[in-house]
Amino acid sequence: MDPLEVFDVESAIAPEQEFYRKIIEDNLSSLKLVPAIGRIKVVLRPEDSLFQMAILLRDVGTRVTTTDIADMEVKPIASQIIISIKKEQYIPELLGKLWERYGKANISQPDRWTVTISTDNPRAEAAFLKDMMVADPRHRLHENLVDFAIRVTPEGFRVRYHLYKGNQFIFVASEEALKHEWIEEAGAMLEELTKGGKK
Amino acid sequence: MAVLRPYLYTGGVHKHGLLIELLEDLGGYIIQKVVTGTEVNLIMLIPEKDIPIVKKQSDELLGMMVEAPLTGVEIAVVSPTLASHHLPHSACDIAEYLRHPGANTNMIGLARGMGRRVSLSMDYERRLINEHDIAVFTFGSFSDCIINKKPKLFEGIEIPIVVTGGPDLKTEEVPGADLYVGDIGRTSHRLRKAEEISALDKLNEGVGKIADNIRKQQAKDPLAVLPARVMKEIENQVPEIRTVLSPAPLTLQLNGLRVKLPYDEFHEKIEKLEFDEGVTLSELANISKSKMKNYILIKIKSKSDVGFAI
Repeated sequence: MDPLEVFDVESAIAPEQEFYRKIIEDNLSSLKLVPAIGRIKVVLRPEDSLFQMAILLRDVGTRVTTTDIADMEVKPIASQIIISIKKEQYIPELLGKLWERYGKANISQPDRWTVTISTDNPRAEAAFLKDMMVADPRHRLHENLVDFAIRVTPEGFRVRYHLYKGNQFIFVASEEALKHEWIEEAGAMLEELTKGGKK
Repeated sequence: MAVLRPYLYTGGVHKHGLLIELLEDLGGYIIQKVVTGTEVNLIMLIPEKDIPIVKKQSDELLGMMVEAPLTGVEIAVVSPTLASHHLPHSACDIAEYLRHPGANTNMIGLARGMGRRVSLSMDYERRLINEHDIAVFTFGSFSDCIINKKPKLFEGIEIPIVVTGGPDLKTEEVPGADLYVGDIGRTSHRLRKAEEISALDKLNEGVGKIADNIRKQQAKDPLAVLPARVMKEIENQVPEIRTVLSPAPLTLQLNGLRVKLPYDEFHEKIEKLEFDEGVTLSELANISKSKMKNYILIKIKSKSDVGFAI
Protein backbone atom coordinates (compact mmCIF):
# COMPACT_ATOMS: atom_id res chain seq x y z
CA MET A 1 0.00 0.00 0.00
CA ASP A 2 1.40 3.40 -0.96
CA PRO A 3 0.89 6.45 1.22
CA LEU A 4 -2.49 8.03 0.50
CA GLU A 5 -3.29 5.48 -2.16
CA VAL A 6 -6.96 6.37 -1.75
CA PHE A 7 -7.97 9.84 -0.56
CA ASP A 8 -11.71 10.40 -0.86
CA VAL A 9 -13.72 13.28 0.51
CA GLU A 10 -17.45 13.14 -0.15
CA SER A 11 -19.99 15.87 0.37
CA ALA A 12 -23.15 16.90 -1.42
CA ILE A 13 -21.68 20.23 -2.51
CA ALA A 14 -18.51 20.07 -4.59
CA PRO A 15 -16.69 23.22 -3.43
CA GLU A 16 -17.20 22.30 0.23
CA GLN A 17 -15.61 18.99 -0.56
CA GLU A 18 -12.54 20.83 -1.87
CA PHE A 19 -12.27 22.98 1.28
CA TYR A 20 -12.31 19.91 3.47
CA ARG A 21 -9.84 18.07 1.31
CA LYS A 22 -7.47 20.98 1.80
CA ILE A 23 -8.04 21.05 5.57
CA ILE A 24 -7.36 17.32 5.78
CA GLU A 25 -4.20 17.67 3.69
CA ASP A 26 -2.95 20.53 5.86
CA ASN A 27 -3.52 18.64 9.09
CA LEU A 28 -2.03 15.43 7.72
CA SER A 29 1.12 17.25 6.84
CA SER A 30 1.37 19.27 10.03
CA LEU A 31 1.01 16.11 12.14
CA LYS A 32 3.36 14.23 9.78
CA LEU A 33 0.79 11.49 9.27
CA VAL A 34 1.08 11.11 5.51
CA PRO A 35 3.57 8.19 5.54
CA ALA A 36 1.45 6.28 8.05
CA ILE A 37 -1.85 6.43 6.19
CA GLY A 38 -2.61 4.12 3.30
CA ARG A 39 -6.21 4.86 2.45
CA ILE A 40 -8.58 7.43 3.83
CA LYS A 41 -12.20 8.26 3.19
CA VAL A 42 -14.23 11.08 4.68
CA VAL A 43 -17.94 11.73 4.31
CA LEU A 44 -19.49 15.05 5.29
CA ARG A 45 -23.20 15.64 5.80
CA PRO A 46 -23.59 19.11 7.33
CA GLU A 47 -27.39 18.96 7.10
CA ASP A 48 -27.34 15.97 9.51
CA SER A 49 -24.45 17.43 11.52
CA LEU A 50 -22.44 14.36 10.62
CA PHE A 51 -18.78 13.70 9.99
CA GLN A 52 -17.51 10.19 9.19
CA MET A 53 -13.97 9.07 8.57
CA ALA A 54 -12.39 5.69 7.89
CA ILE A 55 -8.65 5.18 7.68
CA LEU A 56 -6.55 2.17 6.74
CA LEU A 57 -3.07 2.48 8.14
CA ARG A 58 0.12 1.25 6.55
CA ASP A 59 2.62 -0.83 8.42
CA VAL A 60 4.51 1.62 10.51
CA GLY A 61 7.90 0.91 12.00
CA THR A 62 8.17 -1.60 14.80
CA ARG A 63 9.27 -0.70 18.28
CA VAL A 64 12.54 1.14 18.50
CA THR A 65 15.17 -0.25 20.89
CA THR A 66 18.35 1.42 22.08
CA THR A 67 20.54 -0.50 19.64
CA ASP A 68 18.43 0.78 16.75
CA ILE A 69 19.26 4.35 17.49
CA ALA A 70 22.64 4.28 19.25
CA ASP A 71 25.98 2.51 19.73
CA MET A 72 26.91 1.47 23.22
CA GLU A 73 30.29 1.16 24.80
CA VAL A 74 30.85 -0.36 28.25
CA LYS A 75 33.69 0.91 30.46
CA PRO A 76 33.75 -1.44 33.45
CA ILE A 77 36.72 0.22 35.15
CA ALA A 78 35.16 3.66 35.05
CA SER A 79 31.74 2.15 35.92
CA GLN A 80 30.27 3.85 32.91
CA ILE A 81 28.21 3.15 29.84
CA ILE A 82 28.70 5.52 26.94
CA ILE A 83 25.88 5.81 24.41
CA SER A 84 26.63 7.42 21.05
CA ILE A 85 23.38 8.41 19.44
CA LYS A 86 22.77 7.92 15.74
CA LYS A 87 19.15 8.99 15.41
CA GLU A 88 18.56 12.30 17.05
CA GLN A 89 14.76 12.29 16.96
CA TYR A 90 14.51 9.72 19.76
CA ILE A 91 16.77 11.53 22.26
CA PRO A 92 13.92 12.91 24.40
CA GLU A 93 12.32 9.49 24.83
CA LEU A 94 15.68 7.85 25.54
CA LEU A 95 16.64 10.42 28.14
CA GLY A 96 13.24 10.13 29.79
CA LYS A 97 13.64 6.38 30.13
CA LEU A 98 17.21 6.68 31.42
CA TRP A 99 16.32 9.32 33.99
CA GLU A 100 13.57 7.12 35.28
CA ARG A 101 15.89 4.14 35.73
CA TYR A 102 19.14 5.73 36.90
CA GLY A 103 18.14 9.13 38.25
CA LYS A 104 19.14 12.42 36.69
CA ALA A 105 22.30 12.67 38.79
CA ASN A 106 23.81 9.60 37.14
CA ILE A 107 23.23 10.70 33.57
CA SER A 108 25.33 13.28 31.84
CA GLN A 109 25.25 14.53 28.30
CA PRO A 110 28.66 15.99 27.45
CA ASP A 111 27.52 16.81 23.93
CA ARG A 112 24.51 16.47 21.69
CA TRP A 113 25.35 12.97 20.48
CA THR A 114 26.70 11.40 23.65
CA VAL A 115 25.05 10.24 26.85
CA THR A 116 27.04 8.73 29.71
CA ILE A 117 25.54 6.66 32.48
CA SER A 118 27.32 6.02 35.77
CA THR A 119 26.35 2.68 37.23
CA ASP A 120 27.90 0.06 39.53
CA ASN A 121 27.08 -2.76 37.24
CA PRO A 122 27.80 -1.57 33.71
CA ARG A 123 27.91 -4.93 31.96
CA ALA A 124 24.54 -6.16 33.16
CA GLU A 125 22.97 -2.76 32.62
CA ALA A 126 24.34 -2.58 29.08
CA ALA A 127 22.76 -5.94 28.30
CA PHE A 128 19.44 -4.65 29.60
CA LEU A 129 19.69 -1.34 27.75
CA LYS A 130 20.42 -3.09 24.47
CA ASP A 131 16.87 -4.40 24.25
CA MET A 132 15.14 -1.58 26.07
CA MET A 133 12.22 -0.16 24.13
CA VAL A 134 12.82 3.54 23.57
CA ALA A 135 9.78 4.47 21.57
CA ASP A 136 6.70 2.80 20.21
CA PRO A 137 5.64 4.55 17.01
CA ARG A 138 2.23 2.93 17.21
CA HIS A 139 1.53 4.65 20.48
CA ARG A 140 2.54 7.99 19.08
CA LEU A 141 0.53 7.27 15.96
CA HIS A 142 -2.60 6.62 17.98
CA GLU A 143 -2.23 9.95 19.76
CA ASN A 144 -1.65 11.74 16.48
CA LEU A 145 -4.59 10.05 14.79
CA VAL A 146 -6.99 11.11 17.52
CA ASP A 147 -5.56 14.62 17.45
CA PHE A 148 -5.92 14.66 13.66
CA ALA A 149 -9.53 13.48 13.83
CA ILE A 150 -10.48 16.17 16.32
CA ARG A 151 -8.72 18.86 14.30
CA VAL A 152 -10.44 18.08 11.01
CA THR A 153 -13.91 17.56 12.48
CA PRO A 154 -16.12 20.63 12.15
CA GLU A 155 -16.09 22.62 15.37
CA GLY A 156 -19.01 21.86 17.64
CA PHE A 157 -19.33 18.19 16.71
CA ARG A 158 -18.65 17.11 20.25
CA VAL A 159 -20.34 13.72 20.26
CA ARG A 160 -17.68 11.33 19.02
CA TYR A 161 -17.08 7.67 18.41
CA HIS A 162 -13.72 6.25 17.61
CA LEU A 163 -12.29 2.81 17.02
CA TYR A 164 -8.65 1.90 16.61
CA LYS A 165 -7.89 -1.73 15.96
CA GLY A 166 -4.84 -3.10 14.19
CA ASN A 167 -4.41 -0.95 11.14
CA GLN A 168 -7.99 0.30 11.08
CA PHE A 169 -9.31 3.56 12.37
CA ILE A 170 -12.89 4.78 12.36
CA PHE A 171 -14.10 8.14 13.57
CA VAL A 172 -17.66 9.44 13.64
CA ALA A 173 -18.63 12.80 15.07
CA SER A 174 -21.84 14.74 15.32
CA GLU A 175 -23.57 17.46 17.23
CA GLU A 176 -26.57 15.24 17.96
CA ALA A 177 -26.70 11.87 19.68
CA LEU A 178 -24.95 9.36 17.44
CA LYS A 179 -27.12 6.91 15.52
CA HIS A 180 -26.12 3.30 15.15
CA GLU A 181 -26.41 3.38 11.40
CA TRP A 182 -23.87 6.19 11.19
CA ILE A 183 -21.26 4.02 12.84
CA GLU A 184 -22.28 1.11 10.64
CA GLU A 185 -21.91 3.31 7.58
CA ALA A 186 -18.40 4.20 8.69
CA GLY A 187 -17.72 0.49 9.12
CA ALA A 188 -18.91 -0.09 5.56
CA MET A 189 -16.62 2.69 4.36
CA LEU A 190 -13.72 0.92 6.02
CA GLU A 191 -14.65 -2.35 4.38
CA GLU A 192 -14.76 -0.63 1.02
CA LEU A 193 -11.31 0.79 1.70
CA THR A 194 -9.95 -2.61 2.64
CA LYS A 195 -11.10 -3.92 -0.70
CA GLY A 196 -9.20 -1.15 -2.42
CA GLY A 197 -11.61 1.74 -2.37
CA LYS A 198 -13.69 3.10 -5.18
CA LYS A 199 -11.56 3.80 -8.20
CA MET B 1 -14.77 72.75 7.82
CA ALA B 2 -11.78 71.31 5.98
CA VAL B 3 -12.22 67.84 4.54
CA LEU B 4 -9.61 65.45 5.90
CA ARG B 5 -8.28 62.50 3.91
CA PRO B 6 -6.61 59.50 5.55
CA TYR B 7 -3.13 58.50 4.35
CA LEU B 8 -0.49 56.02 5.37
CA TYR B 9 3.13 57.11 5.19
CA THR B 10 5.92 54.54 5.22
CA GLY B 11 9.51 55.68 5.24
CA GLY B 12 12.76 55.91 7.12
CA VAL B 13 12.93 57.25 10.64
CA HIS B 14 15.48 59.88 9.58
CA LYS B 15 13.93 63.37 9.58
CA HIS B 16 10.36 62.04 9.68
CA GLY B 17 9.75 64.75 12.29
CA LEU B 18 9.66 67.22 9.42
CA LEU B 19 6.56 65.53 8.09
CA ILE B 20 4.86 65.59 11.49
CA GLU B 21 5.66 69.31 11.90
CA LEU B 22 4.34 70.08 8.44
CA LEU B 23 1.14 68.20 9.17
CA GLU B 24 0.64 70.10 12.42
CA ASP B 25 1.12 73.39 10.60
CA LEU B 26 -1.47 72.40 8.01
CA GLY B 27 -4.03 71.41 10.64
CA GLY B 28 -3.91 67.69 9.99
CA TYR B 29 -3.71 64.93 12.57
CA ILE B 30 -1.35 62.05 13.32
CA ILE B 31 -3.55 59.13 14.25
CA GLN B 32 -0.90 56.55 14.89
CA LYS B 33 2.87 56.38 14.75
CA VAL B 34 4.62 53.04 14.73
CA VAL B 35 8.40 52.88 14.67
CA THR B 36 9.86 49.51 13.75
CA GLY B 37 13.63 49.50 13.66
CA THR B 38 14.66 52.04 11.09
CA GLU B 39 11.23 52.35 9.55
CA VAL B 40 8.33 54.48 10.58
CA ASN B 41 4.63 54.11 9.76
CA LEU B 42 2.42 57.11 10.17
CA ILE B 43 -1.30 57.04 9.81
CA MET B 44 -2.51 60.56 9.33
CA LEU B 45 -5.43 62.75 8.34
CA ILE B 46 -4.46 65.43 5.83
CA PRO B 47 -6.60 68.40 4.79
CA GLU B 48 -7.68 67.58 1.24
CA LYS B 49 -6.31 70.72 -0.41
CA ASP B 50 -2.87 70.29 1.19
CA ILE B 51 -2.26 66.73 0.06
CA PRO B 52 0.18 67.77 -2.73
CA ILE B 53 2.31 69.68 -0.19
CA VAL B 54 2.54 66.67 2.09
CA LYS B 55 3.23 64.41 -0.90
CA LYS B 56 6.12 66.66 -1.90
CA GLN B 57 7.60 66.48 1.58
CA SER B 58 7.15 62.70 1.63
CA ASP B 59 8.94 62.40 -1.73
CA GLU B 60 11.82 64.47 -0.41
CA LEU B 61 12.13 62.04 2.50
CA LEU B 62 12.00 59.15 0.00
CA GLY B 63 8.96 57.77 1.77
CA MET B 64 5.80 56.26 0.39
CA MET B 65 2.33 57.67 0.83
CA VAL B 66 -0.77 55.64 0.10
CA GLU B 67 -4.40 56.29 0.81
CA ALA B 68 -5.66 54.39 3.87
CA PRO B 69 -9.43 54.33 3.49
CA LEU B 70 -10.10 52.46 6.74
CA THR B 71 -8.31 54.94 8.98
CA GLY B 72 -10.36 55.85 12.01
CA VAL B 73 -12.51 52.75 11.70
CA GLU B 74 -12.59 50.24 14.52
CA ILE B 75 -13.57 46.78 13.35
CA ALA B 76 -14.57 43.75 15.42
CA VAL B 77 -13.38 40.49 13.86
CA VAL B 78 -15.68 37.93 15.43
CA SER B 79 -14.87 34.26 15.31
CA PRO B 80 -17.37 31.71 16.65
CA THR B 81 -14.83 30.25 19.09
CA LEU B 82 -11.17 30.46 19.96
CA ALA B 83 -10.59 26.83 18.94
CA SER B 84 -8.06 25.86 16.28
CA HIS B 85 -11.00 25.40 13.91
CA HIS B 86 -11.42 29.15 13.59
CA LEU B 87 -8.12 30.51 14.75
CA PRO B 88 -5.42 31.38 14.10
CA HIS B 89 -5.34 31.21 10.35
CA SER B 90 -8.43 32.61 8.71
CA ALA B 91 -9.55 35.01 11.46
CA CYS B 92 -6.07 36.36 12.18
CA ASP B 93 -5.27 36.80 8.52
CA ILE B 94 -8.51 38.70 8.02
CA ALA B 95 -7.77 40.97 10.97
CA GLU B 96 -4.25 41.54 9.78
CA TYR B 97 -5.31 42.30 6.24
CA LEU B 98 -7.89 44.83 7.40
CA ARG B 99 -5.12 46.69 9.20
CA HIS B 100 -3.26 47.37 5.95
CA PRO B 101 -5.62 50.16 4.89
CA GLY B 102 -5.48 51.67 8.38
CA ALA B 103 -8.27 50.02 10.37
CA ASN B 104 -7.93 49.14 14.02
CA THR B 105 -9.18 45.62 14.55
CA ASN B 106 -10.13 43.77 17.70
CA MET B 107 -10.55 40.03 17.61
CA ILE B 108 -13.46 38.64 19.55
CA GLY B 109 -13.88 34.92 20.09
CA LEU B 110 -17.35 34.02 21.28
CA ALA B 111 -17.61 31.79 24.32
CA ARG B 112 -20.19 29.44 22.84
CA GLY B 113 -20.42 30.21 19.15
CA MET B 114 -19.50 26.76 17.90
CA GLY B 115 -21.76 24.19 16.31
CA ARG B 116 -25.01 24.49 14.44
CA ARG B 117 -27.68 23.94 17.04
CA VAL B 118 -25.95 25.04 20.21
CA SER B 119 -24.22 28.23 19.06
CA LEU B 120 -25.26 31.44 20.76
CA SER B 121 -23.82 34.78 21.79
CA MET B 122 -24.14 36.45 25.14
CA ASP B 123 -25.59 39.88 25.80
CA TYR B 124 -22.18 41.05 26.97
CA GLU B 125 -20.61 39.93 23.71
CA ARG B 126 -23.28 41.66 21.63
CA ARG B 127 -22.77 44.92 23.50
CA LEU B 128 -19.02 44.65 23.08
CA ILE B 129 -19.41 44.10 19.33
CA ASN B 130 -21.83 47.04 19.11
CA GLU B 131 -19.12 49.35 20.43
CA HIS B 132 -17.32 48.98 17.10
CA ASP B 133 -18.02 50.55 13.72
CA ILE B 134 -18.25 47.35 11.69
CA ALA B 135 -18.38 43.67 12.65
CA VAL B 136 -16.73 40.99 10.50
CA PHE B 137 -17.92 37.46 11.27
CA THR B 138 -15.59 34.72 10.12
CA PHE B 139 -17.51 31.55 9.40
CA GLY B 140 -16.62 28.15 8.00
CA SER B 141 -17.08 26.19 4.83
CA PHE B 142 -20.64 24.84 4.90
CA SER B 143 -23.22 26.93 3.06
CA ASP B 144 -26.01 25.25 5.02
CA CYS B 145 -24.54 26.54 8.30
CA ILE B 146 -23.90 30.04 6.99
CA ILE B 147 -27.37 30.43 5.49
CA ASN B 148 -29.52 28.62 8.03
CA LYS B 149 -27.76 28.30 11.33
CA LYS B 150 -25.19 30.97 12.02
CA PRO B 151 -27.22 34.14 11.36
CA LYS B 152 -28.70 33.81 14.85
CA LEU B 153 -25.39 35.17 16.06
CA PHE B 154 -26.32 38.47 14.39
CA GLU B 155 -29.31 39.09 16.65
CA GLY B 156 -28.92 42.33 18.53
CA ILE B 157 -26.00 43.53 16.43
CA GLU B 158 -26.77 47.08 15.36
CA ILE B 159 -23.64 47.89 13.38
CA PRO B 160 -23.07 46.77 9.75
CA ILE B 161 -22.31 43.06 9.51
CA VAL B 162 -19.79 41.57 7.09
CA VAL B 163 -19.62 37.79 6.79
CA THR B 164 -16.77 35.72 5.41
CA GLY B 165 -17.02 32.05 4.58
CA GLY B 166 -15.91 29.36 2.20
CA PRO B 167 -18.72 28.88 -0.31
CA ASP B 168 -19.52 31.32 -3.06
CA LEU B 169 -22.80 32.85 -1.89
CA LYS B 170 -24.61 36.07 -2.67
CA THR B 171 -25.03 38.64 0.08
CA GLU B 172 -28.82 38.33 -0.18
CA GLU B 173 -28.62 34.65 0.67
CA VAL B 174 -27.16 35.33 4.10
CA PRO B 175 -29.94 36.81 6.23
CA GLY B 176 -28.86 39.83 8.21
CA ALA B 177 -25.53 40.35 6.49
CA ASP B 178 -24.63 43.63 4.79
CA LEU B 179 -21.89 41.96 2.79
CA TYR B 180 -20.78 38.39 2.19
CA VAL B 181 -17.28 37.54 0.97
CA GLY B 182 -16.56 33.97 -0.13
CA ASP B 183 -13.39 31.92 -0.55
CA ILE B 184 -12.23 32.59 3.01
CA GLY B 185 -13.53 29.55 4.83
CA ARG B 186 -12.01 27.29 7.38
CA THR B 187 -8.33 26.78 6.66
CA SER B 188 -5.42 25.20 8.45
CA HIS B 189 -2.84 27.23 6.57
CA ARG B 190 -1.93 30.88 6.18
CA LEU B 191 -3.94 32.60 3.47
CA ARG B 192 -1.39 33.14 0.73
CA LYS B 193 -2.73 31.62 -2.47
CA ALA B 194 -3.78 33.95 -5.24
CA GLU B 195 -7.51 33.36 -4.84
CA GLU B 196 -7.30 33.75 -1.08
CA ILE B 197 -5.45 37.04 -1.36
CA SER B 198 -7.92 38.31 -3.92
CA ALA B 199 -10.77 37.35 -1.59
CA LEU B 200 -9.08 39.38 1.16
CA ASP B 201 -8.74 42.29 -1.25
CA LYS B 202 -12.43 41.99 -2.03
CA LEU B 203 -13.16 42.04 1.69
CA ASN B 204 -11.09 45.18 2.23
CA GLU B 205 -12.78 46.88 -0.68
CA GLY B 206 -16.25 45.93 0.60
CA VAL B 207 -15.52 47.04 4.15
CA GLY B 208 -14.11 50.29 2.76
CA LYS B 209 -17.37 50.88 0.89
CA ILE B 210 -19.42 50.27 4.04
CA ALA B 211 -17.22 52.71 5.96
CA ASP B 212 -17.68 55.26 3.18
CA ASN B 213 -21.44 54.84 3.35
CA ILE B 214 -21.38 55.49 7.08
CA ARG B 215 -19.29 58.62 6.46
CA LYS B 216 -21.76 59.78 3.81
CA GLN B 217 -24.67 59.28 6.19
CA GLN B 218 -22.72 61.22 8.78
CA ALA B 219 -22.04 64.08 6.37
CA LYS B 220 -25.79 64.75 6.22
CA ASP B 221 -25.80 65.42 9.95
CA PRO B 222 -22.16 65.92 10.95
CA LEU B 223 -20.68 65.15 14.32
CA ALA B 224 -20.47 68.00 16.84
CA VAL B 225 -16.70 67.62 16.88
CA LEU B 226 -14.23 65.56 14.85
CA PRO B 227 -13.00 62.44 16.66
CA ALA B 228 -9.47 63.30 15.54
CA ARG B 229 -9.74 66.66 17.26
CA VAL B 230 -10.91 65.06 20.50
CA MET B 231 -7.96 62.74 20.20
CA LYS B 232 -5.55 65.65 19.96
CA GLU B 233 -7.15 67.44 22.91
CA ILE B 234 -6.90 64.31 25.06
CA GLU B 235 -3.22 64.02 24.17
CA ASN B 236 -2.73 67.64 25.25
CA GLN B 237 -4.88 67.71 28.37
CA VAL B 238 -4.57 64.18 29.77
CA PRO B 239 -0.82 63.49 29.82
CA GLU B 240 -1.34 60.05 31.39
CA ILE B 241 -2.38 58.75 27.97
CA ARG B 242 1.30 58.75 27.01
CA THR B 243 2.04 56.13 29.68
CA VAL B 244 -0.48 53.65 28.27
CA LEU B 245 1.24 50.62 26.80
CA SER B 246 -1.73 49.13 24.93
CA PRO B 247 -1.57 49.44 21.16
CA ALA B 248 -3.43 52.50 19.93
CA PRO B 249 -4.13 54.07 23.36
CA LEU B 250 -6.61 56.34 21.62
CA THR B 251 -8.56 54.32 19.09
CA LEU B 252 -10.54 56.36 16.61
CA GLN B 253 -13.98 55.30 15.52
CA LEU B 254 -16.22 56.79 12.88
CA ASN B 255 -18.41 58.41 15.53
CA GLY B 256 -16.20 58.54 18.57
CA LEU B 257 -13.17 57.02 20.18
CA ARG B 258 -12.02 54.51 22.72
CA VAL B 259 -9.67 55.79 25.40
CA LYS B 260 -7.57 53.05 26.93
CA LEU B 261 -7.47 54.51 30.44
CA PRO B 262 -9.38 53.14 33.46
CA TYR B 263 -12.89 54.60 33.54
CA ASP B 264 -13.26 55.15 37.27
CA GLU B 265 -10.07 57.12 37.55
CA PHE B 266 -10.24 59.22 34.41
CA HIS B 267 -13.83 59.65 33.26
CA GLU B 268 -14.24 63.01 35.02
CA LYS B 269 -11.08 64.34 33.47
CA ILE B 270 -12.30 63.28 30.04
CA GLU B 271 -15.76 64.72 30.61
CA LYS B 272 -14.25 68.06 31.58
CA LEU B 273 -12.01 68.19 28.54
CA GLU B 274 -12.12 71.75 27.26
CA PHE B 275 -12.06 73.07 23.72
CA ASP B 276 -10.90 76.52 22.60
CA GLU B 277 -14.51 77.40 21.81
CA GLY B 278 -15.33 77.13 25.51
CA VAL B 279 -17.36 73.91 25.50
CA THR B 280 -16.52 70.73 27.38
CA LEU B 281 -16.56 67.27 25.90
CA SER B 282 -19.47 66.09 28.05
CA GLU B 283 -21.69 68.59 26.23
CA LEU B 284 -20.73 67.13 22.86
CA ALA B 285 -20.53 63.42 23.57
CA ASN B 286 -21.80 60.50 25.59
CA ILE B 287 -19.03 59.15 27.75
CA SER B 288 -19.49 55.66 29.12
CA LYS B 289 -17.65 52.69 30.49
CA SER B 290 -16.56 50.41 27.68
CA LYS B 291 -17.33 46.70 27.70
CA MET B 292 -13.72 46.20 26.79
CA LYS B 293 -11.73 46.04 30.01
CA ASN B 294 -12.36 49.23 31.96
CA TYR B 295 -11.77 51.57 29.10
CA ILE B 296 -13.63 54.76 28.38
CA LEU B 297 -15.91 54.92 25.36
CA ILE B 298 -16.72 58.28 23.82
CA LYS B 299 -19.59 58.47 21.34
CA ILE B 300 -19.86 61.93 19.84
CA LYS B 301 -23.33 63.36 19.39
CA SER B 302 -24.44 64.74 16.06
CA LYS B 303 -24.83 68.41 15.24
CA SER B 304 -28.62 68.21 15.30
CA ASP B 305 -28.46 66.74 18.79
CA VAL B 306 -26.21 69.41 20.27
CA GLY B 307 -27.40 72.34 18.18
CA PHE B 308 -23.95 73.40 17.03
CA ALA B 309 -20.68 71.96 15.84
CA ILE B 310 -17.14 73.10 16.49
